[in-house]
Amino acid sequence: MADTALERAARRYGADATLGNPIRDMNPLILLGCVAALAAIAVAVPGWVVAVGMGAVFVVIGFLGGRGSGYLMTFLKLWAAVGLILFVLRALLTRSGEVLVPLGPIAVTTDGVQDGLRFAAAVMAVCAAATLFFALVPMRHLMLALERIGVSPRVSYVLLASFQSIADLGATARVVLDAQKARGIETEGSLLVRVRAFFPVLAPVFLTAMSATEERAIALDARAFNRRGARTSLVRLRSPRWWEWVVLAVLVLAALATAIGANLA
Amino acid sequence: MASPSRFSTFLHGYGRLTIFLLPIGVAINFVGGQIALLLKLPIYLDSIGTILVGALCGGIPGAIVGLLSNAINSITSPPTFAFAVLNIAFGLLAGFFGRRGFFRVWWKALLTAIPFAFIGGFFGALITIWVFGGLAVGGGAIIVGMLTALGMDVNTANFVAQIPMDVLDKVPTVLIVYAIIKGVPKRLMTKLPLGHVYLTPAGRTPATAKAV
Repeated sequence: MADTALERAARRYGADATLGNPIRDMNPLILLGCVAALAAIAVAVPGWVVAVGMGAVFVVIGFLGGRGSGYLMTFLKLWAAVGLILFVLRALLTRSGEVLVPLGPIAVTTDGVQDGLRFAAAVMAVCAAATLFFALVPMRHLMLALERIGVSPRVSYVLLASFQSIADLGATARVVLDAQKARGIETEGSLLVRVRAFFPVLAPVFLTAMSATEERAIALDARAFNRRGARTSLVRLRSPRWWEWVVLAVLVLAALATAIGANLA
Repeated sequence: MASPSRFSTFLHGYGRLTIFLLPIGVAINFVGGQIALLLKLPIYLDSIGTILVGALCGGIPGAIVGLLSNAINSITSPPTFAFAVLNIAFGLLAGFFGRRGFFRVWWKALLTAIPFAFIGGFFGALITIWVFGGLAVGGGAIIVGMLTALGMDVNTANFVAQIPMDVLDKVPTVLIVYAIIKGVPKRLMTKLPLGHVYLTPAGRTPATAKAV
């Protein structure tokens, strides 16, 4: 059998898309439900232990999904940038409970530490769930799964094109910034000087981008962008396996049970 | 909400170009914020795209740009999503002012900075209080923390810190929106939903030039 490029392409695109990992190959919407249920459990249970523990669970899932090291970095950065501030501000500014460390007009109190840790951990659990999901699932797969349940392909276009435009426009803006610097526009100095530099850098970049939309509209129109009806796609998502539904059902039931239990207690 | 005629206009006709402007609006929001960081400006400048698309295409497209920008931002920084409603309000408000020709004249554009800053500052502070109990994240939180430490009530501290910061942010934002609108070529302008507002000769009010 001659293995032509055409046949290779046909085999590649005829098969279900795989990222080579059972967790990442789960249906994106089922995975979203699972992660959301885990986050709900973390928020519903009072106290900070479960919420902090759930963070660790998310990191473990990240490693099982083969995206562990990158996700761990995001997770730690998030704690450092957001969680720590949430915790420290609450710990310092809550004015009840036993004073642990007096610091002039403010003080670290037992209630403050408890309250801060609980709040920071709960917010972080939700944040960690969101970042984990997007670390595991490629945006394209998520949009494809959404199109399957009836979301318009235009929504996919707008979202995916946004990511592309952010990268493109960011690169152009940096080039123009350097070019304007070379022409003598001051980008350092007093605040007023720097604010004034903003205009000659951004106005041309944004105007070019807007003018280009006209060409893009024509190009996409020529490719039947505005056609209604079913479309084919290069990527074929695997249909959900039975165990994916089981995992989802168990997690959602667990989340419901914890929410009801926490309300009764 | 939207009348059927406006909604169908949005989906068909001119709306085709609007769809392609939405991603550009999102990207403008992001790049504006990035350049503000590069130039070490103490302001966000991250709603230029929302207001620009709102002023050129109408409130609903502007609101979509706002929602998308915050949604994309919250992939890496989830607390941002709580503030999405502000960016949506900016888009709707920009559509309102755009329709009435506020972005045709620089001083009128400058005036719109007041309601934008009010929404951003006042409701931003309210969201911080409701969702995060008054102590959210970012540069503002440190100022709020300091004010509270000086004996100010947490809620008051939020308003005191956020409203002036938002005025500082929205003045350059609306000015750059005005500058960009000035520069949009006429042939592109004619294809935008609110383009007629900016193409009518001075002296005639846009409302009488074309009934919407």
